[in-house]
Amino acid sequence: MGIIDSMQQALAMLVRLEADLWEIILLSIRVSGTATFFALVFGLPLGALLATRSFPGRTAAVILVNSLLALPPVVAGLVIYLLLSRSGPFGWLQLLYSPTAMIIAQFVLILPIAAALSRQIFEQMLAEYAPLLASLRCSTTQRIAVLLRDGRLELITVVLACFGRAIAEVGAVIIVGGNINHVSRVLTTAIALETSRGELALALALGMVLLVIALLVNLAGQLIRVVLQKAGADV
Amino acid sequence: MSEEIKTSEHPPGPPVLRADELCYTRQNRQLITKASLTLSAGQITLLAGHNGAGKSLLLQLLHGLMPPDSGQLSGPPGKQQKMVFQKPVLLRRSTRQHLAFLAPQLDRDGLDACLARAGLLDRQQVPTRQLSGGEAQKLALTGALATRPKLLFLDEPTASLDYESTRFVEDSLQQARAGGMAILMVSHNRTQIKRLADRVLFLARGTITDNAQADAFFAQPESRVAQDWLDFA
Repeated sequence: MGIIDSMQQALAMLVRLEADLWEIILLSIRVSGTATFFALVFGLPLGALLATRSFPGRTAAVILVNSLLALPPVVAGLVIYLLLSRSGPFGWLQLLYSPTAMIIAQFVLILPIAAALSRQIFEQMLAEYAPLLASLRCSTTQRIAVLLRDGRLELITVVLACFGRAIAEVGAVIIVGGNINHVSRVLTTAIALETSRGELALALALGMVLLVIALLVNLAGQLIRVVLQKAGADV
Repeated sequence: MSEEIKTSEHPPGPPVLRADELCYTRQNRQLITKASLTLSAGQITLLAGHNGAGKSLLLQLLHGLMPPDSGQLSGPPGKQQKMVFQKPVLLRRSTRQHLAFLAPQLDRDGLDACLARAGLLDRQQVPTRQLSGGEAQKLALTGALATRPKLLFLDEPTASLDYESTRFVEDSLQQARAGGMAILMVSHNRTQIKRLADRVLFLARGTITDNAQADAFFAQPESRVAQDWLDFA
């Protein structure tokens, strides 16, 4: 089957919006959206803390966070697999091969992205803001609140980077999720499976959906940026 | 703006800040040497000196932005002091939101009144970075004064402003002085110092060489370096 035929079949599947396809799409968005949410909840304050506070070991912490950007997904997946497997310390939670395990894997992979990128943004902002915040005697909590608020336009990029990395992830989620049909099958693991089975049309259809989701998320980010700029926010 | 000296009109109120022999050393270089001064309520003190003399550093020490290596400093709590920088620090917000951050106690009417006083009412929704230098400095000063601090520091606030903006700054400071605020301002502008100063401090290489009433300073400065500075005009 040529690539043209595959593309035509893929489009036909998308137009028909088959139930299985929808299930995979929605699970992908749920898993990656949840992982992104928690990565931002923990990563942005961590980035702000690294930018605003001077403490022993700060440089080592920054190097560690930056190094974790290069964490191989299969290694992260393997470690989480060992932790969640029946004989592992968290085996009693029975999370292995579940969407929750996949969320955890994606969270671990994108937390350093949220922390490292936001730290850089916050440090650049602090280079401007520091004299005023010091003069106004702002506490660390107040400083972090100001940085989060005023950096929101640039932080949209962090959100997009985290979500994009999460939804494109395959190595770790296939290890801890198992790619079980109707349970833990997401777009990337389904693409890998269908390609190995020779179902190139389905694999292409899934790939196109992945691209469309990425496009829609970026469009939403751009829309939010425009709305915030109209409300007075500025970069 | 007339240039006559107005010092006798403003007798000093109670001391607001006292500094006693403040010293600050970095990299084996003494940048501030035994700086002693008193800032009084209802008075404007102008701090003059050559570039690199340590004026901004002394302001930061007095404002508590960095600790001195030695010496005593007593003044109002940090929240009752405000500082206006030569280049205003602008948050990535609208003009109105920025003012609300600087003076969080202001309600809606208070914000409107302050914006109107600064001539920024029609610019209130504009991002701060789109303000001109004069507008930004008016916003910074208005925000600082709106909190009614006991002590106000200004680091060359009119250095790059036009006549109209400079006039606004000077008028605002004179009103604040009348309200009992203690003000310490750095300026290189001799005519501005003559217009505003009740007292003049002259700093040379980190040492306060002159600390006198403005009329006495301009009539007969204590130090040779201050005399040279005056003569250069």
